[in-house]
Amino acid sequence: MERIAFVEKLRLKFPGDESLIFKDLSVSFDKGEKVLLLGPSGCGKSTLLQVLSGLIPHSIEVPMKAKELESPSSWGYVFQDPDSQFCMPFADEEIAFVLENLSVPKQQMNERIHNHIRQVGLHLDDIHTSIDTLSGGMKQRLAIASVLALEPEVIFLDEPTAMLDPVGTKEIWDVLKEIGKDKTVIIVEHKIDHVLEFIERIVLFNDNGQIIADGPKDIILSLYKNKMKEHGIWFPGVWDEYIHDHAPIREQREFNDGGPIMQMQGFRGFRKKEEKIMVEELQIHSGEWIVIRGENGAGKSTLLHALMQFIKTNGYYELMGTSIKKVKNLTDNMTFVFQNPEFQFVANSVYEEIAYSLRIDKKPPQEIEERVHALLEVFHLTAHRDKHPFQLSMGQKRRLSVAASIVKEKKIILLDEPTFGQDSKNTFALLEWFEEYRKRGITVIMVTHDDHISKNFATRIWTVKDGKVISDEKISKQLAFLETEVLSL
Amino acid sequence: MNVSSAETWLHKINPSLKLFVLIVLCMVALFIKDLNYMINVTMGVLLLFLCFSGHPLNRILLLSIPFCFIFLSTSSAMILFGQGETLWFKWGLISITEESFMRGLLVGFRALLFAVLGLTFSLTTRPVNLFYSLMQQVKLKPKYAYSFMAALRLIPIMLEEFQTIRNAMRVRGVERKKGIRSLYFKMKAYSIPLLSGSIRRAHRIAVAMEAKRFSDTRNRTYYYEFGFSKNDHGFILYFVILLLAGLYLSVQFPYLSI
Amino acid sequence: MRKGLKLTDILVTIVIAVAFGIVYILWGSIYYSVKPLGLHVDQLIYGMWFIAGPVAFLVMRKPGVALLAEIAAASGEFFLGSPWGLTVLLYGVVQGLFAELVFMAFRYKKFNMSVAVLAAIASCVGSVLMDFAYGEIGALSLWNLLLFMIARFIGSIFFAGVFAYYLVKVLEATGVTNLVRPVSSKDYAALDQK
Ligand SMILES: Nc1ncnc2c1ncn2[C@@H]1O[C@H](COP(=O)(O)OP(=O)(O)OP(=O)(O)O)[C@@H](O)[C@H]1O
Ligand SMILES: Nc1ncnc2c1ncn2[C@@H]1O[C@H](COP(=O)(O)OP(=O)(O)OP(=O)(O)O)[C@@H](O)[C@H]1O
Ligand SMILES: [Mg+2]
Ligand SMILES: [Mg+2]
Repeated sequence: MERIAFVEKLRLKFPGDESLIFKDLSVSFDKGEKVLLLGPSGCGKSTLLQVLSGLIPHSIEVPMKAKELESPSSWGYVFQDPDSQFCMPFADEEIAFVLENLSVPKQQMNERIHNHIRQVGLHLDDIHTSIDTLSGGMKQRLAIASVLALEPEVIFLDEPTAMLDPVGTKEIWDVLKEIGKDKTVIIVEHKIDHVLEFIERIVLFNDNGQIIADGPKDIILSLYKNKMKEHGIWFPGVWDEYIHDHAPIREQREFNDGGPIMQMQGFRGFRKKEEKIMVEELQIHSGEWIVIRGENGAGKSTLLHALMQFIKTNGYYELMGTSIKKVKNLTDNMTFVFQNPEFQFVANSVYEEIAYSLRIDKKPPQEIEERVHALLEVFHLTAHRDKHPFQLSMGQKRRLSVAASIVKEKKIILLDEPTFGQDSKNTFALLEWFEEYRKRGITVIMVTHDDHISKNFATRIWTVKDGKVISDEKISKQLAFLETEVLSL
Repeated sequence: MNVSSAETWLHKINPSLKLFVLIVLCMVALFIKDLNYMINVTMGVLLLFLCFSGHPLNRILLLSIPFCFIFLSTSSAMILFGQGETLWFKWGLISITEESFMRGLLVGFRALLFAVLGLTFSLTTRPVNLFYSLMQQVKLKPKYAYSFMAALRLIPIMLEEFQTIRNAMRVRGVERKKGIRSLYFKMKAYSIPLLSGSIRRAHRIAVAMEAKRFSDTRNRTYYYEFGFSKNDHGFILYFVILLLAGLYLSVQFPYLSI
Repeated sequence: MRKGLKLTDILVTIVIAVAFGIVYILWGSIYYSVKPLGLHVDQLIYGMWFIAGPVAFLVMRKPGVALLAEIAAASGEFFLGSPWGLTVLLYGVVQGLFAELVFMAFRYKKFNMSVAVLAAIASCVGSVLMDFAYGEIGALSLWNLLLFMIARFIGSIFFAGVFAYYLVKVLEATGVTNLVRPVSSKDYAALDQK
């Protein structure tokens, strides 16, 4: 087989860090292979992908050296964040930008743009559509379309579906399978459900960025299951094992504190004067774990923003018996984790980020140290405590944003997709922490695309569609998922 | 600007040429010392702006409000504190003379002229078109042109981010700090994440552009191609006539004698 | 360094500049609300309009950045429809050029507060020259002109010099500057450890 990309004895280290991320790492890829890089969050998968493509050190200057290194001559790269990979304002212009780079004559451009957009199943009435108006899933499709325009031999994919709903995820993978048939595809992904049928080889990493296994998928999955479990990596059936090992989780205690803590009626939220979310009637009690589901762009985040009063709202909304208009310090009772973790970082180090709210409250240093330390341990961030929040890997950022928001116990926690981009170990750590809170009577309201969470942890599921909460499903105690009672609104 | 409007002949002019003509006009205006001439030229440009920008009248009037402000504030400083021989009025430090009054008006009209020219340009030109044309006609290096286009795309994102940071600060309890020191603290809490976030995002986009094989070679092809047309001739002709006719009228029929 | 600025450098510079372009526009309204106070109090805050150049240079530490930043900030302001129109473009070029010359005089090797202040003063000189050509401030009476100049210089030193310097110091603490500055050879040497 012909090698198409390889690196031998790679050493790499971020400026200012003490230790190397990769120490003498060697790996090679053959032409036409479909490979999945699998490993715990923060082990260096994204970094390796950038080295293999040549983005490091060509575009991103990071100290590194390798005995031998060859990047493919023609490649495309789909990044994780749908928002920061476009440079032009309109969809057609973005693909045209790629075609211009390849010196494609103007006469051929229009046809090729249409072709690529069709290939990825991006249905636009007019190709001259502003990128800002596209949903997350559509943006990712556009990103793939512009990668296709490169006609690459090798495609690098860094969690291309991390932000997408289950349907969107499946569709994107279907598209990728179709276009990746005769190409080399190197993938980093935590959500492996749809990926497994596509790939043939798995490279397994441990926490220290070392390769612990590398081989055909079936062999790896059968022989290394325990290793994967030990390192907290997703593998098929991980949830079943987890549920099996942990006694039934859901058992809602009754809290006799007099009535619901939140009530809404005819409640609407507006963005740019347009109504984007509507709730007819809902009541929330303490100790509930509510999962909010819905397609990309349905209005889930908007609903949370409305509850937090970040956007203009009207209608009836009452918090612990007081009308929201009279509530002065909303944030004393509610906390919120943003969908994009980077938005909420305020401090210069991981440690200070978590300690922040405690410091504002002038808590004694002893207590701060203890609380922060505990969270760092649980969320596997201790080794990075002095880093700047922005220097973390995707999954680490997410965990930090959650840790920083929940360090102070509030009565209600709102979370916008708190588990995306996590390995299994950290996902469970997060979920168990929330469950701990819930048992103490705290209300957890969480947006997530992960059906396992709604199935195994939620006490109640809301479905949002086209800006409306269309169903409210209460899951009664114990044998929950057998008898669900649908209260359709 | 990202507001929709009708297309007029001003939209169809080659963007580089339009910019060039307007800048030349600004330079020329710097040397116009005659108030009458200045007023004539300004009127000519105002006419262009009011009739051919393709935007609805109410929007144009709204955009014109700052003009009056500029005119007043620019001219008043000169009028109230300027030097001169023929004293009209004196009160404390303030002294209005005939010379300073005329000069104040001149400066005021010039500021008005510049403002109108600038707004006419930005109302009738899509930035993307300008940069494509600059690459083709002025041979601006693509790496500069595309950087500008990418940065302009980031503006609305930055504004939105500002709102988000505000919300995030509220959640984390920053808003509750009080006093002067907290004002400083808040300013820092807003501006630093905004700036460092923008830098990181810019960096990421630059990496994404290079991942799409962006190179700085000049023989790249273009999705939009710009040349010259009759509209361009008309545009140049308009200003030549304006400058000549304005001069003639100012000599023959002056409004003010200086 | 021969080949001039890389795409990353240019884009980051322009984005910094555009961010300040937005500040510049907002600053315009502050400027006009202070103006009626008279006695050139407004000139005290004029210096803010020079800040993009020094900040961009102190962040990136590369040649050409200060000039590019001021031009880009002015164009950003221009595209967003600043009522100052084309004037800002002309001013931007001159102010950026003067600041750039200062950094060049130090061969782009000094990044301390003094260079920042010198660059701020240079920008201020540039703007005053432009004012002579454009606003005819030469016709102001002498005491008034002096007051005007002193106020503007003090403001420039404060905003574009001292404030810019500390702003970048704080930015450094966030670690972004590592992204855009050249990597030190010490970091490369550390690759051979163990
Ligand atoms: N610019 C940087 N400066 C310092 N450290 C960094 C930087 N970027 C990444 N790191 C560190 O390098 C390690 C690897 O990061 P990388 O993004 O490659 O992880 P990953 O395997 O992709 O993780 P995830 O699955 O969470 O995305 C992390 O521990 C991270 O903290
Ligand atoms: N800041 C904003 N300004 C204007 N419209 C917005 C804004 N944010 C979201 N929208 C619009 O509001 C609608 C709901 O968006 P929202 O972000 O709530 O969706 P979501 O369900 O959270 O989707 P996702 O799963 O992709 O996060 C969409 O049509 C979106 O385009
Ligand atoms: Mg990653
Ligand atoms: Mg959302």
